[in-house]
Amino acid sequence: MIAAFIREIAAAIQAIWNDKGARSTMLGATLFFSVFFPQPYLSEVVRDMPVAVIDQDGSTLSRELIRRIDAADAVAVARYAADMPSARALFLRRQVHGIVVVPPQFERDLLAGRAAPIAIFSDGGYFLLNSVMSSALSNAARSLGAEVQVGRLTASGVDAAQAMAIVEPLRVTTVPLFNPTGGYASFVLPAVFVLILQQTLLMGIGNLKAGRRSAGGLSTFADAIVYVALYSLWAGVVLVLLPWVYRLPRIGDVAVMYAVAVPFLAAVTAMGLAVARLIPSKEGVIFFLVVLGMPLFFLSGVSWPAEAMPELLRTVAFAIPSTTAVPALVRVNQMGADLRSVETTIFVQLALCLAYSTLAMAIERWKKGPSA
Amino acid sequence: MARKAHLAAGFRRVLLAELRQIGARPGLMFMLAPFPLLLFVLLAAVFQLGLPRDLPITVVDQDRSTLSRQMVRIVDATPEVAVTHEEGTLSEGRQRLLTGQAYGVVLIPPRTERDVLAGRRPEVVLFYNNQYMTPGSLVARSVGGALGTVAAGISVEARIARGSDVESATQAVLPVPIRQSALFNPSLEYVQFLLAAVMPTVLQIFIGASAALSFSRDRQGVAGLGKSLRLGGTLTRTAAGKLAPYTLAYLLVLWGADALLFGPMGARFGGSLTFHVAYGVVFVLASQMLGAAAALVARDTVSALAAVGVITGPAFGFTGITFPRLSMNGFSDVWANLLPVTHYLELRTDNILRGAPLDISMPAFAWLCSLALIYGGVTLLLLWRHGRPRLAATRGATT
Repeated sequence: MIAAFIREIAAAIQAIWNDKGARSTMLGATLFFSVFFPQPYLSEVVRDMPVAVIDQDGSTLSRELIRRIDAADAVAVARYAADMPSARALFLRRQVHGIVVVPPQFERDLLAGRAAPIAIFSDGGYFLLNSVMSSALSNAARSLGAEVQVGRLTASGVDAAQAMAIVEPLRVTTVPLFNPTGGYASFVLPAVFVLILQQTLLMGIGNLKAGRRSAGGLSTFADAIVYVALYSLWAGVVLVLLPWVYRLPRIGDVAVMYAVAVPFLAAVTAMGLAVARLIPSKEGVIFFLVVLGMPLFFLSGVSWPAEAMPELLRTVAFAIPSTTAVPALVRVNQMGADLRSVETTIFVQLALCLAYSTLAMAIERWKKGPSA
Repeated sequence: MARKAHLAAGFRRVLLAELRQIGARPGLMFMLAPFPLLLFVLLAAVFQLGLPRDLPITVVDQDRSTLSRQMVRIVDATPEVAVTHEEGTLSEGRQRLLTGQAYGVVLIPPRTERDVLAGRRPEVVLFYNNQYMTPGSLVARSVGGALGTVAAGISVEARIARGSDVESATQAVLPVPIRQSALFNPSLEYVQFLLAAVMPTVLQIFIGASAALSFSRDRQGVAGLGKSLRLGGTLTRTAAGKLAPYTLAYLLVLWGADALLFGPMGARFGGSLTFHVAYGVVFVLASQMLGAAAALVARDTVSALAAVGVITGPAFGFTGITFPRLSMNGFSDVWANLLPVTHYLELRTDNILRGAPLDISMPAFAWLCSLALIYGGVTLLLLWRHGRPRLAATRGATT
């Protein structure tokens, strides 16, 4: 029995190596996607986004404000425009991604203690550029405003500490946790890597099994063991080694990661075997999986909050291993969650594994039924 | 005239042969229209809210004063967040983040109210989960704004107590107010932003894959490409006849999704409809040519599909919709230019969102047309190379 099992294991490894499609998805594609996919995001944050300034005041304080805007890492004052139409033209040509208007009498109002508003125009079509613009501008405006206020109060004879207590009686600090620099690669890639594992594993199984008859329980079980073992190695490469190569924050415990990853890979394998028996053609399986990549990413709730999705959709999405495994692995790897915080996900994955295995066996029996 | 009629007949013969092929394959028919529309409905459901509301956050109120309770109330009143838990300690609050039950923790330390009254400038801290950047930054902005309002209120009171009038006290709190308006998509709707961009990206996969399947099926078939070429008469007629059913189907899907987006879903259409139709057609053609060229380069159907998957699958990151193109590395910038969807989305943004004059969009439109021509040229060249020997062989056999 054990010898037969070892023979089946060897046969399963050989099958992956001998099948060109399986070799290129389970060995090649996993690595290729993990190198190719991160490329657009590698600079992590937006630096020196060009903005246009319309300085209608031309005063010392307006120039000081503009200097502070330019000093922000994320934006750079690229152009001075005479009026709104010319600034808008630059914007439409994508030569600038934001416009700042400092109105006349900015300095006079500010020094007289009146509100001296500035107008900014940002790009609502690109959310990241839009938020870069608002945070850079509000920092510059707030720091200049507070300084002028404190200066006015101290000039009127209030001591510095008291002036600060009037200007800012309660300090509000916001602390970003887990991705402190707000890097885009650090945000997207840990989730995408998990999805790459799932999709390439499913494609590989599709390549090997779609449209073929099952070679029996023991053989299928040996196949599953080999797939999970191979992908456990890949999980180490993709979730531990690559984050290190790309310098993404990773603070999690590797043992906890595997406590989630192994049940997850088992669930994916079971699902792959079931899907391969449902969709008979290799091409069909591959196409289906390529197309589903992006919707599955959004369903995982890492980029778009799961709370904002319809309840029904969230329930149905539970049937796909990545829906719960992606956020759980991100919480373990990037946020340092312990076993207790992800135990629900582990149970969900084990349940999915059981359910898909049952389904795969039922399909097999049903297919054999008519012929027998 | 007779020659022209003959060519048109060739086109019709290939078209009919292709339609028969599609008719014989229910899987292929499903992938032509029902499946992409189903995915559109799925994605539309994901983004149905447009803006997330009531994101769960937790509060650690160690002060339990009138002021701290007021802060919690004001934070809870902002539409984007909801205070769903209250914790005694910060580590319990942190645990909520780790289990994914909350996106942020507001810490109000003991003696906050007393310290405010004594002018000691106490600190209130919002910890937010920036690993989940979309909800995280939304929480940071709205909770930070709400707490800022509380602080501003105290500041106004302090100034009034020092004898200033309400109006100047209010103005003094925010000396440089910012009037921010987003040019284009001012409501910052995710439907307009993400859904409108994700759908064409997903469609590019469908379009490329269907063209790849059509051509590599012929290459694998017994009769080979030679048969299609003989039916079509010329290379262009053959290619056009083979691809026409898919062009039509996916244009209908593309516009059907747009009809849903701008109709029942209420997105604003601010540009030229004619131009929208024009670049839509070129986009579908360019994506088809990309798929066809990949199929003729690849050795078999599975590798053809894999090639299309590799090119079109990760395309979304390269389009610059989420992470901007201006911050990408050189490779990504070049690669992005080779993808039809990059230019299509730029044209969409220019036309629909920005209502930009046509001359602004010309470079992107020229890119899209060039891609269609280049990939089309490659397709014809390969078709000629692969088809020729078999064509010659069959001719040799019949004469």
